[in-house]
Amino acid sequence: MGTMRVQPARAGALGARPSSGTWSHFDLQLALYALALAVIGLLMAYTSSGGTPLEAGSIFTRGLMWLAIAIVMFTVAATIDYRWLKTLAWPVYLVNLGLLVLTLATGSGVGGVSRWVTIGPVQFQFSELAKILMAVVLANYLAGRQGQLKSLATTLGAFLLVLPALALVLVQPDLGTSLVFGAIVFGSLFLSGAGLRWLLLAAAGVLAMVPVAWAYILEDYQKRRLISFLDPSADPQNSGYQLIQSQIAVGSGGLFGKGLTNGSQTQLDYLPVSATDFVAATLAEELGFVGGVVLLLLFAMLLWRILVVGWRARDPFGSAFAAAIASMLLFQLMVNFGMVLGVMPVTGIPLPFVTHGGASLTSYAIGLGILQSVAMRQGRPDW
Amino acid sequence: MASRAWNGDPVNGMSLGEPARQVRLWPRFIVFALIIALVVATLGLRLFTLQVVSGGYYAGLARENRIRLQPVRAPRGLIFDRTGRQLVDNVATFAVKARPADMPLSQRPAVIERLATLLDISAADITEALDRAAANRFDLANVARGVPEEIALIIREEHLELPGVEVIVEPQREYPYGGLVAHILGFTGAVTPDDLARVGSLGYLHDDTVGKQGVEATFEEVLRGDYGVEQIEVDARGEAIRLLRTLQPAEPGNSLELSIDVDIQRDAETALRWAMDRIGLEQGVIMAMNPQTGEVLAMVSLPSYDNNLFARGISTADYQALLDAPGAPLRNHAIVDHVPPGSTYKLVAGAGGLQDGILTDRTILQTRAYLSIGSTKYWDWNRQGFGPLNIYDGFGRSSDTFFFQIAGELGIDRLAHWGSQFGFGQRTGIDLPGEVPGILPTNDWKMSLMNEPIYPGEVYQAGIGQGYNSFPPIQVLNAFAALANGGRLLKPQIVRRILGPNGEVVDEIEPQLIRQLPFDADVLRTMRRAARRVVTIRQTYNLVDLPIVVAGKTGTAEFGVRDAKGRLPYHSWFAGFVPKDPWKKDSDPNGVEAVSRTDSELAVLAFAYDSRTTGNAATEIVKYFLQLHYDLDVDLRQDWILERDNFYGQ
Repeated sequence: MGTMRVQPARAGALGARPSSGTWSHFDLQLALYALALAVIGLLMAYTSSGGTPLEAGSIFTRGLMWLAIAIVMFTVAATIDYRWLKTLAWPVYLVNLGLLVLTLATGSGVGGVSRWVTIGPVQFQFSELAKILMAVVLANYLAGRQGQLKSLATTLGAFLLVLPALALVLVQPDLGTSLVFGAIVFGSLFLSGAGLRWLLLAAAGVLAMVPVAWAYILEDYQKRRLISFLDPSADPQNSGYQLIQSQIAVGSGGLFGKGLTNGSQTQLDYLPVSATDFVAATLAEELGFVGGVVLLLLFAMLLWRILVVGWRARDPFGSAFAAAIASMLLFQLMVNFGMVLGVMPVTGIPLPFVTHGGASLTSYAIGLGILQSVAMRQGRPDW
Repeated sequence: MASRAWNGDPVNGMSLGEPARQVRLWPRFIVFALIIALVVATLGLRLFTLQVVSGGYYAGLARENRIRLQPVRAPRGLIFDRTGRQLVDNVATFAVKARPADMPLSQRPAVIERLATLLDISAADITEALDRAAANRFDLANVARGVPEEIALIIREEHLELPGVEVIVEPQREYPYGGLVAHILGFTGAVTPDDLARVGSLGYLHDDTVGKQGVEATFEEVLRGDYGVEQIEVDARGEAIRLLRTLQPAEPGNSLELSIDVDIQRDAETALRWAMDRIGLEQGVIMAMNPQTGEVLAMVSLPSYDNNLFARGISTADYQALLDAPGAPLRNHAIVDHVPPGSTYKLVAGAGGLQDGILTDRTILQTRAYLSIGSTKYWDWNRQGFGPLNIYDGFGRSSDTFFFQIAGELGIDRLAHWGSQFGFGQRTGIDLPGEVPGILPTNDWKMSLMNEPIYPGEVYQAGIGQGYNSFPPIQVLNAFAALANGGRLLKPQIVRRILGPNGEVVDEIEPQLIRQLPFDADVLRTMRRAARRVVTIRQTYNLVDLPIVVAGKTGTAEFGVRDAKGRLPYHSWFAGFVPKDPWKKDSDPNGVEAVSRTDSELAVLAFAYDSRTTGNAATEIVKYFLQLHYDLDVDLRQDWILERDNFYGQ
């Protein structure tokens, strides 16, 4: 992987100057990979617009709008010194829970679920933002427990901290997003240096929860999805249908794909939710194996870059926050792309940056912006 | 690059190296990086397997998804009368169909109710239509055909509330002449599982139409054509996006040119309807045929029905009303009913007796008020007898005791032999559905049915066309046509020619000889002259006063049960023919020479069911028909004949 850092040598020299020093440490790779993924997402929105991508209100034009908003959010988040977040961590935590409660109370969704809150003309999925806010709170918590990281209390505390938000998301019900919360906790604890034995114990606990969850927590449709993942032909017209059609879309794409807007699975609506949950199938069908590999490599490089930012952070907050974001993105990539490829059950977890959706894109932009803020502020002498 | 990062970045790290915390945790960063690599590699490998290794397989599945073979209906052939008038039209109409599999059970009642309201048909009919093809829930089922455009548009607009319901433009038969030729044309209707079992090999679709009655049914294979196949691209909802290619084009069906002449048909119907209205008859038949070819020129069975009702998809209520209507309008009484032929059957006894030498045209038989067998008296119809008669006057007066004697001499089996030679008791083979064979009694027949032989009195009855004898009217007409043409019993033809889609003649249907009757020519000539005598001695009242030569035989056939005065109800018959040159000649004032020839091109039959009139109603019907047909400027109809008066059998 080539280094794309902007003028590293001079950046160091200028590091002592607070005003321009931060932007000179701007991590271009971090932004570029994410931007590339978002552009791919726009391309997919274009091809999924049913022949009228340029019309007002098409998912392409809306995607374009959200990308613009996301870039603004990213810039704002990067500009603000992330250390303010430490001060604000507890209010953030309360706001976070408040938003999730609001979602439950007034939210709407398909089939009796509460996922979206309607604000004016837009629907917003606060659980997406909640993941980022939770990463902030968690990173702050771990930063404050330097020296006692290996203790049971730290691990337990981290889980207890996440539990309310996780539970609020779970009862929406949104199993997928609640699992992302789990991934965030595990990842950030792991890379912050939490006791391995406690982590293993927690993992065992989660596994032990599976039968309990099956019996008492999971909704019928969630169980059907899990069963149909194991045997898509069991219910080929419903939940198995998506898995089957997705694999056909991917497989029929072949090496080079059928060409943008030429995917029969996508264009003739065999592939459900082609711009959102199954966006990777659209990509694989129309841009082929080559397109799929480009997507995977962009994710790999982005994740790598986030790890580098985390590694370099002198501040344990930055390190933990990078770990949380990396865990979130990796988990979502694995579950979403895995679902598209038929190796993971159907969940509503978006493919970060690529899936069409304002809430997710702006939330990740904010997350990445905070991370950029961390990256830009490691060289300051008054650290 | 990677190792540099972990070893600390001398530039970013402000030359202090990485914090001790990070250095301590480097194995965890490596593990995390490896997990990233593992996830990405696994996904990449799976992507490779699906797209590169199995790409061909999935490409095939995608093709199967989007490409569907679709049958292309062939335009159904048309039907013309012999003068080229078009008797049926294919019009584009809206049909409402439903795919039961696409209709969620929870919404089904609401959908059915909404459709019932919009289409003005009962919910029960819709339910039945949906359940008819229970085994094929993915096929379209017909709900209603011939739906008005505004209703069709409403249904289309409400498609979100009507899942599984589709509005389709499809051709529908329209019969401009309606009831006039309904029994001949029949109609098409939605194919049923029974039909599919019968004609399934012809490649019918589950929402197809098929000829149900009349020539629409008997010439189904000719009319239907060959359906084609085309490849279309469909989306996930199964809606056609575009035509990819036609694998096999549809071949339009061939057309029929009927032997029927609509003008003659209309004249015949006018005559029959006049008499029926005048008398108040429930049902009647009138037919005209060319004895030289067997071509049926007119075939009217009243009451009739509007076959357009069926083509549009008849409601259960309308159908039940037709089934319950007096006179059984759905039945073509000319071919599907068993009725006693009465005195028209004396043709058989007369010709058979002459051929077997029981009498000659000079033999005189004494007629009486009655003949006795044991204590039973068999009365002549006038209850007096007619004195000594030869065959001409015996036939002319229709003396029962005259023919009792001939029948008694012939015996039941010989009588039946001659009857069967004339075609009685066998289907004529006319190309219309539902023809019955009739009942021609013999000793064997009665033994097998009732385990006893025919009694002598029953032989008398058989000789005058009563008793067990019962045949569809077409057999009577066909026997007289054979008499008129000199002994060729022909299959009655309803279709003359098969025409291609552009009107070219594909097939000419030749006259088909059933048999050459084994009578000497002079026997049949004698019977034709006897038939002329029927007219000339005014057995048929003033029929003889027409300016044309008509020969024939009346019949008064008792049936049913006696009334309080001991009288039986009866039908009236007249079967006869007109020579080729029908006009009376001074050289042949009685028309005897004219009927001696065998060149007749018009045989005619009228049958008035349960007429009970003062005179023979059928004769009046034929008289009126001939007046109309030959455009005669005389009107000899006599109202008094049509008075209801159960004179017979008192």
